[in-house]
Amino acid sequence: MGPRSDLPLSDNPAIRILPWIIALMVYLATLTLAGGLLVATMADEWSRSLTGALTVQVTPTKSESSVELDARVAQATRTLLKTPGVKSAHAIPLAEISAMLEPWLGPESNIADLPLPRLIAVTLDRELDREALAQRLQKTPGAEIDDHEYWRTHLVMFLRSLEIVAVIMVSLIGVTTATIVVFATRSGLAVHLEVIEVLHLIGAPDDYIASQFQRHAQRLGFIGGVAGGVFGVATLLGLSTLAGNLDGAALPSFQNWHWPVLAALPIASAYIAKWTARRIVIRALTSMV
Amino acid sequence: MATSNNTIVKFEKVGIRYGTGPEVLRDINFDLAEASFSFLTGVSGAGKSSLLRLMYLATRPNRGLVTMFGKDVTTVTRNELPAIRRNIGVVFQDFRLLNHLNIFDNVALPLRVSGAPEDVVDKHVSELLTWVGLADHLKALPPTLSGGQKQRVAIARAVIARPRLLLADEPTGNVNDAIAVRLLYLFEELNRVGTTVVIATHNEALVDRFGHAQLHLDKGSITHRRVEPNS
Ligand SMILES: Nc1ncnc2c1ncn2[C@@H]1O[C@H](COP(=O)(O)OP(=O)(O)O)[C@@H](O)[C@H]1O
Ligand SMILES: [Mg+2]
Repeated sequence: MGPRSDLPLSDNPAIRILPWIIALMVYLATLTLAGGLLVATMADEWSRSLTGALTVQVTPTKSESSVELDARVAQATRTLLKTPGVKSAHAIPLAEISAMLEPWLGPESNIADLPLPRLIAVTLDRELDREALAQRLQKTPGAEIDDHEYWRTHLVMFLRSLEIVAVIMVSLIGVTTATIVVFATRSGLAVHLEVIEVLHLIGAPDDYIASQFQRHAQRLGFIGGVAGGVFGVATLLGLSTLAGNLDGAALPSFQNWHWPVLAALPIASAYIAKWTARRIVIRALTSMV
Repeated sequence: MATSNNTIVKFEKVGIRYGTGPEVLRDINFDLAEASFSFLTGVSGAGKSSLLRLMYLATRPNRGLVTMFGKDVTTVTRNELPAIRRNIGVVFQDFRLLNHLNIFDNVALPLRVSGAPEDVVDKHVSELLTWVGLADHLKALPPTLSGGQKQRVAIARAVIARPRLLLADEPTGNVNDAIAVRLLYLFEELNRVGTTVVIATHNEALVDRFGHAQLHLDKGSITHRRVEPNS
C-alpha cells in the first residue's frame, strides 16, 4: 500500500499503463547509456595510446641480407634517438616479431629468411613534427613512419560522435517519458474532475491536490524505472558474458563506476514523472474556479 | 437564539445567469448575521442551489456584490480561496461523497486538507460518526449506504472542521419527517455553539415548525423574508 490518497488515481487505464511504458523507456535508456559509456571507454583507451608513441617501419629491399637490414635499422634508430622529442627508440627483436607472426606462419618457418619489415618502437616526451621526422628518416632508405595513427584519430573521432549520439538519445528518451506522463496526468485530471472539485470546495489548496498526483506519478515512475533498469542490466550482463567468451582485448568492458550511473536512471524516471505531473496539475488547477 | 450584529454574508443587488440564459437570480439583497439560523425556501428551480453556490464560492456573481466574512468575493485571489472555504461547511444536495473512500475518510477530508495531525483526525471523526449514529460503518463505502446514512455522512463532513458558516442544500430531501426533524435538531445544536446556518428546503411545513428566519425565493428574487423570532 502506498500513502493514503483521496483520488482513485489507479482506477484510470491511462495511468495504469504508465509504469509499463516507463519500464520500456528506462530499459531503452539503460542500453543506450551503457553503449555510450562503453564507446566512451573505448575512445579514451584509443586516444591514450595515440599520444606519446609511434612506430617506425624499415622495409627490406630485395636481395638484402639480414645483416645489412640490421645495419639500416640501427641507423634509423640512431637518427630517431638524435631527434629532439624522442624519449626512447628500440628495434623490436626479430624473435618478438616471429612470435607475433607464429599463429599465421606456423612454428616451423624460418623467419630470418623472409623479407619481413622491421619495427622500431618509439616513445615521445612531447608532440613532435612528423613532417620533419619523416625528412630526417629519408637518410635511411625504406624507413618510414607507420601511419596507423591516422585511422586511429579518425576512429576516436567516430567514437566521440557515437558518444554524443548516445547522450542525445538518452535525453530524447527522457523527453518522451515526460510527454507520456503529461498525457497520463491530463487524463487523470479529466477522469477525476468531480473529486477534484469536491476537494476544492472543501478547502483543499492546489498544492494538496497536486501532491497526490505527484506522489502517485513518482511511485509509478520508480516502479517502472526499477523494472526497466533491472531488465536492462540483465541484458547487459548477458551480452558481456557472451563477449567474455570471445578473445576480446579489443572489446571494452564496464568500469565499476558505470553501474551507479546506470542505476541513476530509475531515480531519474521517478523524478521526471513527479515533476511533470506536478507542473501539469498545478497549471490545470490554476485555470479552474 | 444567539445573535450578533457581526454580518458574515452580505448580498447587494446580486444577479447571476448561466451562460447566455436569463438571470436565474436578480437583485438579491440580504445579509446574515453571525450565529443566525435561516431557511432558504422556494419551489424547485427557484434558485436556492444557485444562491448557495454563490455563498460557497463555487460561482461568482455576474453582477452585484457578494461579501463573505467581510471580503468582496470578486477580489478574492486563488490563494485565498482555500482558507475562506474552510470556514464554510457544505451539505450538497447530491451529497458529493467520494465513492472510493470509506465514510471515515470522507468525513476526515476537511481536517486532512487543512493539515490536521492524524491522531486529531482519528479522535474527532470517530466521535462525530458515533454522534450521528454511524460508528458501526466507519469502513463502509458510500455506495453501500442508504440515502439517510449518506445524508448523515455528508452532514458530518460539512461540520467536522467546525465551520463558521454551514450551508445545507435540501438536507432533508431524502429522509422521512421524523429523521428530518432530528437532523434539524442537530443543526440547531451547531447553531447554539455559534455556527451560522442556512438551510435550503422546499419543505414549508418543516420551516413553519421550526420558525427561524426565512428567505423566500420566487422567480429569482427574494420576495418574502421573515425576521428571526426570539425563542
Ligand atoms: N449549471 C446550470 N446550467 C444551466 N442552468 C442551470 C444550472 N444550474 C441551475 N440552472 C437553472 O437555474 C435555475 C435555478 O436552479 P437552482 O438554483 O438549482 O434552483 P433550486 O435549487 O431552487 O431548485 C433553474 O431554472 C435551473 O434550470
Ligand atoms: Mg437545488
